[in-house]
Amino acid sequence: MAQEPSFFHAIKIDTDACTGCTSCMSACPTEAIRIRNGKAVIYENRCVDCGECYNDCPVGAIKVAQDDFHLLDNYEYKVALVPAVFIGQFDDTYKTKEIYACLKMLGFTHIYEVEHSVEFLTQLYKNYMAEHPEIKTFISPYCPAVIRLIQVRFPSLVDNIIKLKSPLDAAAQIIFRKLRDIGAPEDKIGIFYVTPCAAKIASAKSPVSMQNTRINGVINMDFLYNKVKLMLKQHKCKDAEPINHSLTDKSVLWPLTGGESANFNDSVYAIDGLYNALDFLENLEDEKIDAPGLIEMRICDQSCVGGILTVQNRFVAKRRLEDRAKLLARIRRGDDHAKVDYSDQESQDLAKLMQIPDIKPRSLFKLDDNLVTALEMAEKIKDTEAKLPSINCCACGAPSCSALAEDIIRGEACLENCIFAHKDIDELYEKMEDIWGKVVKL
Amino acid sequence: MHYTFKIEQGNFTDAGQASSSVKRTMKQLGVRPENIKRTVVALFEAEINAVAHAYGGQIDVDIDGEKIVMVVADKGPGIPNIDLAMQEGYSTASPQVREMGYGAGMGLPNIKKNTDDLKIDTTVGVGTTVTMTVYLNN
Ligand SMILES: Nc1ncnc2c1ncn2[C@@H]1O[C@H](COP(=O)(O)OP(=O)(O)OP(=O)(O)O)[C@@H](O)[C@H]1O
Ligand code: SF4
Ligand code: SF4
Ligand SMILES: [Mg+2]
Repeated sequence: MAQEPSFFHAIKIDTDACTGCTSCMSACPTEAIRIRNGKAVIYENRCVDCGECYNDCPVGAIKVAQDDFHLLDNYEYKVALVPAVFIGQFDDTYKTKEIYACLKMLGFTHIYEVEHSVEFLTQLYKNYMAEHPEIKTFISPYCPAVIRLIQVRFPSLVDNIIKLKSPLDAAAQIIFRKLRDIGAPEDKIGIFYVTPCAAKIASAKSPVSMQNTRINGVINMDFLYNKVKLMLKQHKCKDAEPINHSLTDKSVLWPLTGGESANFNDSVYAIDGLYNALDFLENLEDEKIDAPGLIEMRICDQSCVGGILTVQNRFVAKRRLEDRAKLLARIRRGDDHAKVDYSDQESQDLAKLMQIPDIKPRSLFKLDDNLVTALEMAEKIKDTEAKLPSINCCACGAPSCSALAEDIIRGEACLENCIFAHKDIDELYEKMEDIWGKVVKL
Repeated sequence: MHYTFKIEQGNFTDAGQASSSVKRTMKQLGVRPENIKRTVVALFEAEINAVAHAYGGQIDVDIDGEKIVMVVADKGPGIPNIDLAMQEGYSTASPQVREMGYGAGMGLPNIKKNTDDLKIDTTVGVGTTVTMTVYLNN
């Protein structure tokens, strides 16, 4: 595998809980998982933090790393950077203002909704598209799992990604500057993102494609939901102050499928779900589909309400966001001043901060940087694959016969991992114990 | 590295397997995406021509550190006038082939555009051999 700075990963295997059942290995879209010693292990440079393995694990052995809640204590300005999806987790009985009041009781001093940045970003994305007439198909930088999937599986499409910050990174930058402008010392500002997924943790923490992030910590949505839910049940925040509804109806819908693309007059494609995304990208890469315009693409079914750290049924959460948008549409008609306005100078400064450096391809297929070496390896892989039975039984601890062939040539496995490579039954059991831990003879 | 694939007359469904395998290998080699694209497009067009206009045949692909050479050889009617066949829009595709959405007369010109070298050997009544070369990292 080409060695470049590796990604930060939020997805981890809890080896105590893992039974080595292979469910995750078969589900992974980048063949990043193997079984060793009876436990799943992840090849870090292949994983894109899509969460598919988390969804498929029958025993809850896939965990999502998060920061210690007490990290908040290190800061004076404790900001909860909350995506609209968070409110969607709660039953209608609990009002937005009560939920936010609970967050304040938990120690946050400021609450800032991620989608505040989307109106500003929409304009920048439009400018970017106009400034790049040579690009026919643009891919939104919204979902970090999509960006990583493109880097590793569809490297020829990296230039189609809009090279600007996502709403999350933009919002962190905006709230940081707002607080700094009212006199907060930079090192006293702690911005904590409440995440619906592992991919956003990974992107917030990874220096690879998103430089100068303003996010200081990440809190998993399910964890925070439980804390807030308990307080709500105890009626701790009944008398909360009303909040300033400065989000627009359109912004609230942005994290749902179609909510982003609705803001563009170009031809748009709103794609959600891992398999839809893989299929679309594959065909786009092969030029089998012609897709001029903007592609809004999210790894999760129904987009972020389907994130792996969400609690509420995705369709119920979606409905709550849609209802909130309807409400906001009514409010906005009465009060147009609610819109966030920036001075020209601030807009220009912010626009500069929204640039991101080049997103580099990180092909998971590439065998070696040297073409001749790669060719020798490819030849050996092909020969090895021809010996294997092509039944993809997973007994070797790899997701497919072709993956085993590749592992063998990369020096990460041996031909004897294949059960068909054995004549001697005792040797076979010995080898299987390497892969599966204790093996019980039938 | 060498690959061989069989081509069956009229089997449009399986056509494309050769170009998928070649694409996978080129990705393993880290070949520039635009060169992968050119190769895949050219090979697919040549394969379809053998499926559509001839009675089947064989594809031989050789990759070395410098180039990929693809030879698509068929048994078939041959091409009586190559210059004419190379013209955009010229086609003798049968109604059945047109039903499959082919027959715009764009295949050979497309192959020409996408390869670094193209050679067509053909004998009327015997068959056609199309030899295409793409340099990997030019
Ligand atoms: N392998 C072949 N054997 C016999 N004739 C061929 C072969 N390849 C091409 N031809 C002839 O050359 C013509 C032009 O081929 P070309 O690939 O450019 O267009 P097409 O196959 O007719 O249509 P399209 O490729 O746009 O679907 C064909 O219609 C056919 O008469
Ligand atoms: S998060 Fe996705 S890419 Fe990573 S190991 Fe799990 S399934 Fe594979
Ligand atoms: S769709 Fe949303 S929740 Fe799912 S991985 Fe992408 S950004 Fe995260
Ligand atoms: Mg043709």
